[in-house]
Amino acid sequence: MLSERERQRYIRQLPLIGEEGQERLQSASVCIAGAGGLGSPVSLYLAAAGVGHIRLIDPDRVERSNLNRQILHAEPDLFRFKVESAADKLEALNPDIRIEPLPVAFNVENASRVAFGMDLLLDALDNYEARYLLNRVAFDQGTPLVHAAVSGFHGQLTTLIPGETPCLQCIMPYPPEGEYSPVLGVTAGILGLLQALEAIKLLIREGELATNILMVWDGRCGRLDQIPLTRDLGCVVCGAGGKK
Amino acid sequence: MIKVHIRSFARFRELFGDRFEVEVCQPATIRSVVQAVGQRNRDGLQELMDGEGKVKRSVILLINRERITGEGRENHPVAEGDEVAIYPPVAGG
Repeated sequence: MLSERERQRYIRQLPLIGEEGQERLQSASVCIAGAGGLGSPVSLYLAAAGVGHIRLIDPDRVERSNLNRQILHAEPDLFRFKVESAADKLEALNPDIRIEPLPVAFNVENASRVAFGMDLLLDALDNYEARYLLNRVAFDQGTPLVHAAVSGFHGQLTTLIPGETPCLQCIMPYPPEGEYSPVLGVTAGILGLLQALEAIKLLIREGELATNILMVWDGRCGRLDQIPLTRDLGCVVCGAGGKK
Repeated sequence: MIKVHIRSFARFRELFGDRFEVEVCQPATIRSVVQAVGQRNRDGLQELMDGEGKVKRSVILLINRERITGEGRENHPVAEGDEVAIYPPVAGG
């Protein structure tokens, strides 16, 4: 049930998603792994849209070199935990939702616990070791996962539904090189917003999701291409290769 | 020689161009096609091939929009008129 304040807040989107859609967002729990270049736009727009519970996990503190793209943070936040800086901004943006900052690394010890009970996982990480772990947990718990990654002017995104689509291990069995490549802030913004859009559609159960395709953004020529994806039947996570 | 259509994405589009053709000797394989693509640009080969002259494992490859995977993928045959698509996944967040 929406309060009067919430009704005012969401009045420009209620005609699009209806009260039922808004209540789905309100009752949803999402975990965003990473509070950096992708995590900033994803969490801002999901908070603004009214996602009721946002769990943010990131062990890092804000550095000045983050500020070209990590738009949740500003000069006064330098040396603070990113998730705490993020929580302040998101709570100020929308006091009617719950922000849960976890200033720890996403790792094998806590992965299951961090992802447990979430309706959706968002991959806003910056390395494939943690991404593969998030993918594994998503598959084990049957939780949808929206993957995104960026480099330079380019980015990629796909939505992974356990049991229905390929998993991240199927798509990228080997991690790419250059995990710390330069990135334009706008690229992270575009891919982060595409992730937020996927999240909203998935939570309100409307529209077509970016499943079974890799959306590839090329900012140099302003093109969004689609690469078809299929499951790897021998995948060590979701295929025969993973069966015990 | 056969002609193969190439489609490249993202960083590979910057390096090699968007859509183009390469000519390769028969019998053509993914490896011979990728080598021909790499030769279009001074930095191209090192972006596509590893130190042992194999196609980098992280590169996503498709023939006629069908994903080619597995250990032996670089020996996968390529025929006249096929479209080979190449994409380098990215990692940052």
